[in-house]
Amino acid sequence: MDRIKTFNMQQRLRDRRAFLRNIPSTMVGAGLLGWPESLALAAAKNNTRQRACILLWMAGGPSPYETLSPIEGHENGGGTRSIATSVPGIRVAENLPHIASRMEDFALVRSLTSKEGNHNRASFLLHTGYLPTPTVKYPAFGAIAAQQLGQEEGDLPAYVRIGSGGRLRVGGGLLGAQFDPFIHRAPNKPPGNTEPTTDLHRYRRRLALQTQLQKDQKLPTGVQEAHQSTYDKASRMILSSDMKAFDLTRESENVRAAYGDSDFGAGCLLARRLIESGVTFVEVNCRGWDTHQDNFAKTRQLTEQVDRPTAALIDDLKQRGLLESTLVVWMGEFGRTPKINARGGRDHYPRVFSAAIAGGGIRGGQIIGKVSEDGAEVADRPVSIPDLFQTFCRALEVDPESESISSLGRPIKVVEDGAPIEELF
Amino acid sequence: MHIARGLMEKMSCDHYISGRIFVSCWALLLFLMPSPLCRQAAGETNFKSIAKQIDLQLQASLEETDPIDDATFLSRVSLDLVGRRPNANQIRNFVHNADPRKRTTAIQQLLEDPQFGKHWGRYWRDTILARRADERALQLVSASLTKAVADRLNNNIGWDQIANDFITASGDVRGHGETALFIAQKGEPEGITAEVSRIFLGIQIQCAQCHDHPTDQWKREQFHQLAAFFPRVGVRRVRNEEPRNFEVYSRNKQGRGKKNKNKKSLEYYMPDLARPNVQGQVTKPVFFLTGHSLELGTQDQIRRQTLAEWITANDENPWFARAYVNRIWTELMGRGFYDTVDDIGPERDCTNPEILALLEKQFVASGYDTKWLLQTIMATAAYQSKSPATRIDSEAIASQPLRGDAIFNNLTQALAVPGADGKGTKNQKRLQKSRQLFVQSFFYDPSLPRAEINPTIPQALLLMNSPQINAFIRGDRSKTMLQRLLVTETENERLVETLYLKCLGRFPYDQEQRICLQHIASQGSRVEACEDILWSLLNTAEFRQRN
Repeated sequence: MDRIKTFNMQQRLRDRRAFLRNIPSTMVGAGLLGWPESLALAAAKNNTRQRACILLWMAGGPSPYETLSPIEGHENGGGTRSIATSVPGIRVAENLPHIASRMEDFALVRSLTSKEGNHNRASFLLHTGYLPTPTVKYPAFGAIAAQQLGQEEGDLPAYVRIGSGGRLRVGGGLLGAQFDPFIHRAPNKPPGNTEPTTDLHRYRRRLALQTQLQKDQKLPTGVQEAHQSTYDKASRMILSSDMKAFDLTRESENVRAAYGDSDFGAGCLLARRLIESGVTFVEVNCRGWDTHQDNFAKTRQLTEQVDRPTAALIDDLKQRGLLESTLVVWMGEFGRTPKINARGGRDHYPRVFSAAIAGGGIRGGQIIGKVSEDGAEVADRPVSIPDLFQTFCRALEVDPESESISSLGRPIKVVEDGAPIEELF
Repeated sequence: MHIARGLMEKMSCDHYISGRIFVSCWALLLFLMPSPLCRQAAGETNFKSIAKQIDLQLQASLEETDPIDDATFLSRVSLDLVGRRPNANQIRNFVHNADPRKRTTAIQQLLEDPQFGKHWGRYWRDTILARRADERALQLVSASLTKAVADRLNNNIGWDQIANDFITASGDVRGHGETALFIAQKGEPEGITAEVSRIFLGIQIQCAQCHDHPTDQWKREQFHQLAAFFPRVGVRRVRNEEPRNFEVYSRNKQGRGKKNKNKKSLEYYMPDLARPNVQGQVTKPVFFLTGHSLELGTQDQIRRQTLAEWITANDENPWFARAYVNRIWTELMGRGFYDTVDDIGPERDCTNPEILALLEKQFVASGYDTKWLLQTIMATAAYQSKSPATRIDSEAIASQPLRGDAIFNNLTQALAVPGADGKGTKNQKRLQKSRQLFVQSFFYDPSLPRAEINPTIPQALLLMNSPQINAFIRGDRSKTMLQRLLVTETENERLVETLYLKCLGRFPYDQEQRICLQHIASQGSRVEACEDILWSLLNTAEFRQRN
């Protein structure tokens, strides 16, 4: 039931946006439109601005002490050294030399704090801004961005997730299947089965017949709509010239070398290509940060995979003039215990963790918040998860107050409470 | 007496009961095990009356039931019991069969098909491996896990015994699929605990791992006391075996040497949250639902055997039978008595509790007989209606998306892919590989509410554009299904009907028949037009849904 409801709602909203684009602005000024129309008009305007976001998702929860918040000199630091960065006064862990050398572009939020220490629930929280509940299917922020900023004319899905997301179960939620991310596991090669096996004319004929036959099928509510929207998206995608975005061999040797040949590197390069092709929200996943054992060796391996491509992505976006409009976020679902456990590992710790943010008009070269000397507490300027999502909204020009309707008829805001980190703007 | 002999033969060839020793004395056997015999006989006669009682209970909440036609019925039960639709001939024969008992007979025949066990074996493979902590488990134990469940279900082993086998399992994982929970959780007590409780009791106690459960009564100690049943489960690599293999074993002696696994303690320590770097509090095994406990120092086999008995003992703990009944009901009806199959428990809302209680009681009385349970639910008018509305508050039919194995079975059967019927060895390896692709692509965790399952773009691309599938759709190549059909069915109407039976397991509606005939008439080539129809049917939403 809820699926069809939201489906219709989206359709209406889209129709309304199309209609509103043709409205003379005098009508708006003259107050001839009610507030919902003005809101939709604002949304229609947003569509032209091309804001985008790349989420570099460190699945498992990276240790802040070995990455963005070293606590050198304290026993909890485990001997991880810090290094100077391109911004005087800012130091990060020695594992991130490339990110360190672009610190003028990064803002480090060191005082993120939450209470959720379960992977699934915390991953949900850091993708939606909400904890999962059985009654409301909160959409991922990527889905909201796709809905509010995505271009209707775009042929590629507006929300793409690269790499294996593990047990990540968050997508379109109450916005419907059409806002689920397109999941592309192996960024090094284009997605499979994207060539029609017949000529185009016949392919279209078949799609038309399929749609026609499906209409009469007696299926549970919402199934047809979800299926049809998936087929529409899939066929639109593969018939598009934008498909070449998936072909990394079109990049020069130099560019490819800068990103390195790891899957994560390929994912970052693909993310940039997709954003260039009009995709709104791209997640690039990097798994393995759940370092309950051998935290130090494992973290070193992971930072080696992640550091260079992240820096290359920033350079590349900057060079192409895309960094201003593209928000890049590096984070995981929580931090790790400051105390090192008996197995040389660090366990789940949501009370303090950190994220790096760049682009999207935010001011880099600064640190938000402070961690106590032993790494166990936020010592200054705590940043809650809603604060973080308010910040994303501000950077992407998404209205945090805009509402979707849950299946129970309850309006759900993009973000509930919190305030953007003003220092970043 | 000959009944007893039959039973005896059945049991002696059943090594699944190997944990228990059988004395080959007829009289003694009858004395020792009188109940299964009676239970089974009772089970066979009573399922219809129980089904009637359920319908009566449901009628209060159902306005009317709109019964399904024979073709849809046969497709529905086939998908639910053996994971594939019947073929066109089977449907036509069934529809023309005048026997009033034909629906009951069809269910009974499907329950005797070896594919029955295999289908449900795959269900449990997906359920158990969906939450794996170790990726390698997928490679190592998928096949043996499916077989372990399949053999037991095909041999009428009760769910209590199956649970017992899984909780007490040891041996190499490629040979003993019942070790799956342990290898999937890397032998770590916390993961094993969470899964044993979730799968066999439907209770998510792992939320209490770090803090007292936020919405339930479970305390943090209770999680760790349950984990204390498993500190001595060892998982190690089998030496010198290729392909790589692991074994689950009982680790009752402290290992020597410097390796981490040798240093692992023989008792379970509940971590001290404030001081994660110290060992924590040594913890005695206590079963949270009854409070029964074991002493420190107890051997691994006894810990696990005792826990298995406590979990499955219905007189003290209803959750074992309840979780299974609710799970099977959900799988058949699309919606359960509880919102989530693996998050039930005393503080969750239950709809139609009286039906659940009835089924639960009779299921226990049947000797935890899965076939009895399936037969009973399938005999209800509720199951055999167009919209199996199973709950008072359900306004619509719950969606029933098929998983990869069933989609693959249906596809290869509809297209008559050589070897798809399991005959011939030539194509089997390639088919197996293709099946893997479908299993991966269409996978979803069977424990998730169906409303959360959406189709994906890669799935659509696979069905639309796979060159392999499209080669079998062709009608101009020798020996494809369509090529033969175009020759044997000269009437277009009958041809369309057959395509519908093959692809969707039902007859076409008038409107559909008309659209298809129009399409054939409008195209220059009959072959191409029929290829289009076949392609379209395989790409409709209904192809991927249970009938």
